[in-house]
Amino acid sequence: MKEAKKKKKKSETSIGVSRNGSISTVGVLSVYLINGLFLAVGFWVARNRFLVDLVSDPSLTLFLLWSIEFPVVVIIYSFLRKDPEKCSCSKAVGRSILGLISGAFMNALGAIALGAPIGAQYLPKTIHWSLLMSVFTFVPATVVFGASLTDWHRVFASMKPSGNIEHMILVPAYGAIIGGWFGAWPMPLDWERPWQEWPICVCYGAIGGYIVGQIVSLCLMLFLRKHKSLKVA
Amino acid sequence: METYLKRNNKKWIPLAFLLIHSVAILIFTRGFLLTRTELPFHSTCSDASLSPCLSNSDHNHNQKQPKCWTKPVVDRVVIIVLDALRIDFLAPSAFFPEAKPWMDKLTVLQNLAFGNESSAKIFKAFADPPTTSLQRLKGLTTGGLPTFVDVGNSFGAPAIVEDNFINQLVLNGKRLVMMGDDTWTQLFPNQFHKSYPFPSFNVKDLDTVDNGCIEHLFPTLYKDDWDVLIAHFLGVDHAGHIFGVDSMPMINKLEQYNKVLEKVVDILESQAGPGGLHENTMVIVMGDHGQTLNGDHGGGTAEEVETTMFAMSTKRHTPSVPPEFDTSSCKQDPDGKKICISSIEQLDFAATLSALLGISFPFGSIGHVNPELYALSSSSLNLDNIELGNSGTQPAVNEWMKNYVNVLCVNAWQVKRYIDVYSNSSVVGFSSDDMSRISNLYSAAEHHWSNSIKHTLMDNDGNEDSTNTSALKAQIAAYLSFFSSVAELARSKWTEFNLTLMITGFVMLVISLILQSLAIFHGDKPFAVDSGLSTSAAFSLFIVLIRACSFLSNSYILEEGKVANFLLATTGLIKLRYSLMSKTMRKEAFIFLAMVSVLRVSIDIGLTKQAATSQFMSSSPTWMLGLAPDHPALTYASEIAPIVSVAVLICVLYRGIAKTHSEGIWKYVTVGSMLNYFLIALLWASESKIFVLDGFLQVIGGRNIIPQTVYAIGLLQLFLLASAHMFCAGKDKNWVIRAVALVSACSSPVILLSGKQGSMLALAYLLAGYCIMRLEGVERSTKSDGQNKFSKLDPLCVVQWSLLSVCMFFASGHWCAFDGLRYGAAFVGFDEFVLIRQAILLTIETFGFSIILSVFGLPLLIPIISQTPQAHGEKRHMLFQMYMLYGVISATTVTATILCVTIHRRHLMVWGLFAPKFVFDVVGLILTDVLICLASVYYL
Repeated sequence: MKEAKKKKKKSETSIGVSRNGSISTVGVLSVYLINGLFLAVGFWVARNRFLVDLVSDPSLTLFLLWSIEFPVVVIIYSFLRKDPEKCSCSKAVGRSILGLISGAFMNALGAIALGAPIGAQYLPKTIHWSLLMSVFTFVPATVVFGASLTDWHRVFASMKPSGNIEHMILVPAYGAIIGGWFGAWPMPLDWERPWQEWPICVCYGAIGGYIVGQIVSLCLMLFLRKHKSLKVA
Repeated sequence: METYLKRNNKKWIPLAFLLIHSVAILIFTRGFLLTRTELPFHSTCSDASLSPCLSNSDHNHNQKQPKCWTKPVVDRVVIIVLDALRIDFLAPSAFFPEAKPWMDKLTVLQNLAFGNESSAKIFKAFADPPTTSLQRLKGLTTGGLPTFVDVGNSFGAPAIVEDNFINQLVLNGKRLVMMGDDTWTQLFPNQFHKSYPFPSFNVKDLDTVDNGCIEHLFPTLYKDDWDVLIAHFLGVDHAGHIFGVDSMPMINKLEQYNKVLEKVVDILESQAGPGGLHENTMVIVMGDHGQTLNGDHGGGTAEEVETTMFAMSTKRHTPSVPPEFDTSSCKQDPDGKKICISSIEQLDFAATLSALLGISFPFGSIGHVNPELYALSSSSLNLDNIELGNSGTQPAVNEWMKNYVNVLCVNAWQVKRYIDVYSNSSVVGFSSDDMSRISNLYSAAEHHWSNSIKHTLMDNDGNEDSTNTSALKAQIAAYLSFFSSVAELARSKWTEFNLTLMITGFVMLVISLILQSLAIFHGDKPFAVDSGLSTSAAFSLFIVLIRACSFLSNSYILEEGKVANFLLATTGLIKLRYSLMSKTMRKEAFIFLAMVSVLRVSIDIGLTKQAATSQFMSSSPTWMLGLAPDHPALTYASEIAPIVSVAVLICVLYRGIAKTHSEGIWKYVTVGSMLNYFLIALLWASESKIFVLDGFLQVIGGRNIIPQTVYAIGLLQLFLLASAHMFCAGKDKNWVIRAVALVSACSSPVILLSGKQGSMLALAYLLAGYCIMRLEGVERSTKSDGQNKFSKLDPLCVVQWSLLSVCMFFASGHWCAFDGLRYGAAFVGFDEFVLIRQAILLTIETFGFSIILSVFGLPLLIPIISQTPQAHGEKRHMLFQMYMLYGVISATTVTATILCVTIHRRHLMVWGLFAPKFVFDVVGLILTDVLICLASVYYL
């Protein structure tokens, strides 16, 4: 809680979040905006401070992206975590790191099964890519749900999210995965563009899918709310 | 009774589809894959006495050298081939609407051709598609029209077995020197007196071949130990492929060539005096084909087929061709001078050069001696004893025509002989209409010849009059019309796609596809739309359609294995999600993904093998082992692992038959396969060095004994299964044991032929298949609607099975190209070559995992649970549906391939990539259909 107060600068977040862990659509939008902002910051830092981009040095750029995005995601979503009374902030941070690593492992395994190149020169790229994917997919869920298997199962396997928070975890995560899946399509083409290399276009696909997922989840929330209010009326 | 009818019905449906597919593919192939039979005959000098033309003795006895078919008119020939030389590289820019930067770079040749006192000429040369170097060199030297499938082609090796110009040169004692592109030494491995080949496959290397050529060209020109010199430069072709025509490297290349050619001409002219080395030499600078502005070639567009040829004789005189036979087109150059370029067909190259050098024409040449090229040297022929400098006048023209008409006579006789022999000996010859038309033309010309011209020529008294001249002209015109109709017929037969047939075949396939999809629901109760099933069906449809669409791009065809693996892994992930959702079979889902990962590594290894030979793929190994390939631990593992996996397979089979309470023939067959596996393990163990079994093979009498025993046992097993099916039909309704027996019987030869990777792949296949079976319907069980599980078919698992079999094709080291066939496998167990036997072995090796085992193993996908008798009928229906679905999936991909080759029939890679893919797919589809027929007889 102390930490939460320290990071009071995101005042709008605290406005949007009520105590019982639900969040208004405006709050969701602002969370998304902050996410997107720091993603852009990541790109900006890579381009202007380190003079690299995804094409020229994918490993370093990906490293910058996920290392800037990761704390932001952890901080934002730790406001939204379930039963904040039982679970201290340090615990939330600890489990988010655990989630980051295990999520990266799962993503890397999936990518290799789908045909990501394996080999010494691709290893750092694959690791950084899967860490970024993990920030998009696993980290928010670990921060919010912790090790609660039933929540994980309900949200990710059965796809029955309840409430805005679960929507904003589920939809962008699936968006990132599906975007990455589509992003792999141009890889075999013989255009001989540098961005066709692993994992550049998959990254673009994943980021694009993540953003589309955010937009879709916002629309879903608006639609569901209207639906509900209609029902109520 | 009704059930009996229904049952029979189901056996006929696959047969009907086999027939429809065969007919459709046959029709399409007739339109697309143009085939030509290569004849093994060769021309010899003595053949000419059979012709009606003037024989050697009466015309030419005063010459020292005995002439062969025609009188030699040049002594030596220098052929400089500049690969992919567009017409606008050489022809002056005045011939084109606007001047481009790459034009007018070969100025030395232009100056020679349009100079006042020279016997040089620039020709516009027409190549025939396919405009790829190898096919073009073949066409240039044989004087024919090579097609994609030249039946009679030797297995794998591209060496030309047909009679050709190079071969004739060697037979007539000419010495050849070759330098440059190593395609020549592939085509003519033994013919060259000296050769300096340089590797041609690296497209990014603009200079190696050219520098090597230049290095050897100039010294060789000063030597006298050759008669024909061939120098093949590749730089322009490579610059086009990499940078395109409008680029600096291209212009640099052309300027470099200009310097080289200038020096060549200087050397030749310095030696051209009487008694010099090059007193009577002909220089030909030519392209083998053109290229588009992007540097592509292979198809039949104007840019690709229009190339150019420059010819010059070192003996100076003005060529004299009667204006009737002059094809030149003229323009005004900027200075107002009249410049002309002539035209020639590459088809005529072999015949013309043969006539110039005085050797017999290649047997299969269908070209004719080009008057203008021939006149460049030959007009000097008989004029030496008439007044020099008088050429171009009427007597000279007449004299030349007399000579030319005799050459044409031999030429026409030779072409007619080839056409006759070809249509008699080829399976698909020419139609009788065409043959009679050609025969009429020929007999008319020949009649004219024997009645009038021959006597005129025989007289040889030198008094020319106008009637003579016009008779000669008429005779030449008659021959030329014969030649042009032969060439037209040959082109329509060998180079033009028949679009109507292609579209008919395609439409038939699409119709059969629709029918087959309907057949899936044949006899089904009005099928209830179950939500779980419909998502699965939609997803299956999506996957199949993606795979089909991927064939529209050459890149996806090249990496087809990876694409299939990607889709298979995607289905695996979907199944994983469902299994997590239902909290069942999670282990199976993970094992399946692990097996997919194993297969993808294997596919990667196969791709690196393919990249080593493919001209379209860059070899970039995407993975690397830290160990050196000859590390002892690695060799040890690679020796042990196959044998261990065979042992595991034996255990699996043993457990399989021990579990099921079944007796009789099926069990014995399965035991037979276990014996076979054991024999295979024994063979591999005795071949490897780490087991001390060296003497074992000698004891049992050679290394062929074990493979032959395996084949014999396999055949015996199949025979037993067939007889068991015939005599105890209806007794044992348990397919699982029958399927196990059949699959295991087929698998042992497949594993043996695939080599040591075979057993490991079989194990991976088995595990992945088991997981697919276990995961079948996992998305449905979550709904738990309490319905009968057999009422509906899960299309996704059939799609997975079919994708898995595609992955197996690539994982076992195959790819869709003829160099991807493993010819070595045809000789496992046999030393001598018998076509049918070796072809069967090669087919089993190529399609073993991907088609034979996967079609026969399809019933294993039906879950083993619930063996109740009332479920049997439904299960049989489901099996039928699965076979139909499998057939639809195979047919869809083939239809997509066919659509793709129809669209890309003029694509650069059509002969290198699309056509082999088409052949593999079509053979695969027919084999699948046949096996589905057999399987439905066996199982249903």
